[in-house]
Amino acid sequence: MAAGSASAPKAADAHADILVLRGLAKTYRALNGSEIVALSPTSLGIRDGEFVSLVGPSGCGKTTLLNLISGLIQPSAGQILFDGRLVDRPNGEMSLVFQRPVLLPWRRIIGNVLLPAHVMRLKPRAEYVARAHELLRLLGLGGFENAYPRELSGGMQQRAAIARALVYDTKVLLMDEPFGALDAMTREDLNIELMRIWELTKRTIVFVTHNIAEAVLLSDRIVVMTPRPGQVREILTVDLPRPRSLETMVAPRFGEIAGHIRGLLHHRPAGEAPAR
Amino acid sequence: MSGRLVSAAYAAGSFAVLLLVWEAVCRYFEVPEFYIPAPSRIAVTLVRGMPLYAANLGVTLYSTLASFVLALILGVLLGTLVSEVRFLDRTLHPVLIALQAMPRIALAPIIIVWFGFGPESKIALGTFTAFFPIFVNTAQGMRATESEQIALMRSLKASRWQIFRMIRLPNALPYLFAGASIAVIFAMLAVIVGEFLGANRGMGFLIISQSSQMDTAGVMATVFILSAIGVLFHYGLQYLRDRLLFWAAQGEVAGNPL
Repeated sequence: MAAGSASAPKAADAHADILVLRGLAKTYRALNGSEIVALSPTSLGIRDGEFVSLVGPSGCGKTTLLNLISGLIQPSAGQILFDGRLVDRPNGEMSLVFQRPVLLPWRRIIGNVLLPAHVMRLKPRAEYVARAHELLRLLGLGGFENAYPRELSGGMQQRAAIARALVYDTKVLLMDEPFGALDAMTREDLNIELMRIWELTKRTIVFVTHNIAEAVLLSDRIVVMTPRPGQVREILTVDLPRPRSLETMVAPRFGEIAGHIRGLLHHRPAGEAPAR
Repeated sequence: MSGRLVSAAYAAGSFAVLLLVWEAVCRYFEVPEFYIPAPSRIAVTLVRGMPLYAANLGVTLYSTLASFVLALILGVLLGTLVSEVRFLDRTLHPVLIALQAMPRIALAPIIIVWFGFGPESKIALGTFTAFFPIFVNTAQGMRATESEQIALMRSLKASRWQIFRMIRLPNALPYLFAGASIAVIFAMLAVIVGEFLGANRGMGFLIISQSSQMDTAGVMATVFILSAIGVLFHYGLQYLRDRLLFWAAQGEVAGNPL
């Protein structure tokens, strides 16, 4: 059951679920009036400090689930509890990372990283400025503080977006396919860096991806989702020891887990159309 | 840098050739001066009449700039309101779009009846004409904001005012500039038409009185000055844009010339 010796201290605090989803569901009304089920009722508890991935093809409701958790959209049924409190709007305690960097082009990198502190008027300012510089250094962007976003490559911009998400004290990081737009090499680099930062900062991460290998490499648990209607197919624990590295990906156990997930995603009940 | 100089040299060369051919044709075929005056003749008229042109240009410039500033204030204000307040979007917006479809210059005679022969009627016509490109582009720019930027701000519990000031307004600026560079030309056109129809000063008035005296060289000198001012406005705004909007891609936003 335990995910490995390195994460044992986190697992020991098992009753501390930072996020609780109870019967969470979302339906949309289509233009022709029919109802589309984006997410079938889903219940899930996410422990403090846990790394959970939501994996599935497009249209399986994983982004919907992430938007529901963040409070950006309202559920049709069920509820989300953050630290025991109901989430009915963004509460400022969960940071977002999107597929695209979403940096403000008119702000320098340092200004973009400090955006949360600026918007939320966090004090003392000097402390956040120091933290922003430290994060940029940690993410390999030291020296680019005064550059404008368009002067940076896609991978560097995404690093800045991660620094922005980490600059203020949030317990939860919600990441929506954050490396989906990057090339494979950059993606692997950032996977390793994200793990390092996660182990350093002890934040809870909910990570949406359609890349199975990425999910297995990073996660404590993986929520496998299937489309039409969007629903949770299975929740599985990744029992690979930490710390993990790119070598972890050639371990036999890694292949087994990835193969199992692949099987879940490809073997649909008979009569159902395959995903496009 | 040297590429720019080379381009400038080519442009200057083209103008020089054009003027030389014009001059030569006028002299060789002895074209009557009231029909097409030679460039040299226009230049002499321009220099000799400097005080006259300066006085009238002052009047036209004053009306044009007043129109532009008023149109800018009204256009940005209403464009913002329409994009922020849903009720106004559904009530005011259709009315303004209908007004936009009107050939606004055609209202000049009535506006002169309402506001008289002074600069007021020119400013009213100029404002009315220049308002629309600014209004339309502002409203469009405010809406062009990426939904993820808004989601990011909402996740930070940003107020509506913060979202407006830190996200929507900067996003609208490139659109606003595109609208403004059209608006300033519209304003000048409207002011000149106003001066054609009813005025006793200004460049439009000057053109009418010059052409009634068959002073074609004078008309061309006046038009030349107005063109120079138009070019000045264009580059002035472009300079400002490059300064303020260095972060936006060049030519990303096309204007909306209506």
